[in-house]
Amino acid sequence: MRQILVIALNTFREAIRNRIFASLVLFAVGMLAVTMAISAASLHEEVRLMKDVGLFLVSTFSAVLCIFVGASLVYKEIERKTIYTILPKPIHRWQFLVGKYLGVLSVMAVQTSVMSLALAAQFWLLEADFGLVMLQAVWLIFVEVVVVAALALLFSSFSTPFLSGMLTFGVFVIGRFADRLATLTLKAAPDQSQEALDRAAAFAHGVAWVAPDLSLYNVTSYAVYDTHLPEGFVLHATLAGGLYAVICLVVASILFSRRDFM
Amino acid sequence: MTASPILTLSDLEKTFTTGFLGALPGFRRLPWQVRGIVQTVHAVRGISLTVEPGETFGFLGPNGAGKTTTIKMLMGLIRPSKGSATLLGKPLNDRAARARIGYLPEQPYFYEHLKPMEFLDFYGGLFPMTVRERRDRARALLDRVGLSHALDRPIRKFSKGMVQRIGIAQALINAPELVVLDEPMSGLDPLGRKEIRDLIFELKHQGRTVFFSSHILQDVEQICDRVAILVRGEVKRTGPINTLLEDGDGGVEVLVAGLPAETAARLGSGVSLREGHRYVVASVEVDAFLRAALEVGGSIRSVTPQRRSLEAIFVEEAQRA
Ligand SMILES: Nc1ncnc2c1ncn2[C@@H]1O[C@H](COP(=O)(O)OP(=O)(O)O)[C@@H](O)[C@H]1O
Ligand SMILES: [Mg+2]
Repeated sequence: MRQILVIALNTFREAIRNRIFASLVLFAVGMLAVTMAISAASLHEEVRLMKDVGLFLVSTFSAVLCIFVGASLVYKEIERKTIYTILPKPIHRWQFLVGKYLGVLSVMAVQTSVMSLALAAQFWLLEADFGLVMLQAVWLIFVEVVVVAALALLFSSFSTPFLSGMLTFGVFVIGRFADRLATLTLKAAPDQSQEALDRAAAFAHGVAWVAPDLSLYNVTSYAVYDTHLPEGFVLHATLAGGLYAVICLVVASILFSRRDFM
Repeated sequence: MTASPILTLSDLEKTFTTGFLGALPGFRRLPWQVRGIVQTVHAVRGISLTVEPGETFGFLGPNGAGKTTTIKMLMGLIRPSKGSATLLGKPLNDRAARARIGYLPEQPYFYEHLKPMEFLDFYGGLFPMTVRERRDRARALLDRVGLSHALDRPIRKFSKGMVQRIGIAQALINAPELVVLDEPMSGLDPLGRKEIRDLIFELKHQGRTVFFSSHILQDVEQICDRVAILVRGEVKRTGPINTLLEDGDGGVEVLVAGLPAETAARLGSGVSLREGHRYVVASVEVDAFLRAALEVGGSIRSVTPQRRSLEAIFVEEAQRA
């Protein structure tokens, strides 16, 4: 366990000391501030608009940064050959991977918290109510990050940062539409064969089954209309995300343990 | 304690498959027609060796001979295609054995964002050591490798020689019984090389076993008990370096300026030949000779071993293959 934490801490420290990371977070917060100011100046329903736009920005920036950081971190260790000095130490390869993962998560926790605090500060300035549902929404954004980071790590355990970034991004987009894909039905035009479309729909269902259902983590509509989430929703979504991440990490560890590092 | 070998390699082999298909896990089971379109590289072709506790062992070979590949197999970074090896009497993946080993990779690169103490503390954290032990060892090691003046500098700002030295400190953080160094002197200037040589010498005196690779004779000859010469993935010769360079000890040629003839006579027993400024000295006496020569006011111009060069052996073995 200690080895995992040592790796995680080092990963965290490396990201925090990286100027690119710091400027990305600043940029995200800046974007947030500007957009909030604009929506606050719009004529009506400013609070609803602020919630909608604010959550969109927090979740998008978090996911993009997560893909960026998650897809490059393991590869960087290999490319820079720092991994050569770590794996020969008395540490299991999976411990290294889990340490990297927890490092990414702690970095993302900082990023999501900073953005959420900036968002809450805007509400406070306008004397608007942030509310419980907003807090839950922010938490669920972080759970989405937990899932996306695990995917990024899975892909980067066997491919290059560019490829794993693209793959993660692809799965991320599919995941956001997973609920729609899962129930997709296609109706043939009179002159088309229904069979081919059925096969396409079945494929979409399969894709939706493998991809994580990220629509679970978007509760913007509840937040905007200030309605309570269903009982147990947050817990259920959190557990589902955690389970998905664990599965990704197990697969990643298996792939990683078979690799040659040359 | 009976001394059982600290390192054994038996028939260790590595074949790389390159190209897209070669990356497939089940590659070796594919029919040969398919395998035929993939390049294979026999990097290491069945190496057998033993290294005894306390030995300083030089693993010599020209570039591309398979030194790094062999060392990476020993360190668990690459899986052998065939054969086996033991470290401290345990199989390669044994974690208890790995806790007693130190390793410096070839042309190492380290976390640039860390300062020396943080760096060593990080590596120490991967071993079962207390915080206190880690700190104390880190401080002592930084002092030993001459980096105590650079404590406030992140590794990003280190010179090549400093990186190599902190790399060695990293390899020693767990007080290892076996230290494996891959080309520890490559890319360093003569002074840097000497510093590393002195460090290895010191490890030897502390009773540690050192296994290191090099392609340069001068780096190994004064400090190695035994060497193995690797050419194209095969061990061609093993033994003490003197017996390998068949011509035996031809002595060392030393050019000393500024010595009056009468003092030159007092330079010790090792001198086998003297012609003006040129002396030929028995290898084992060189240090004493140099010290004496400096003491009486001489100025050392050059020190050259009188031997067949390692390069000659590399070429000869490569041609024989
Ligand atoms: N990842 C790899 N894929 C294919 N061939 C490799 C790989 N790594 C090394 N080789 C080949 O294996 C041989 C041995 O390389 P190496 O062990 O690095 O030699 P050395 O360390 O003695 O210079 C070389 O011919 C090299 O080209
Ligand atoms: Mg090499």
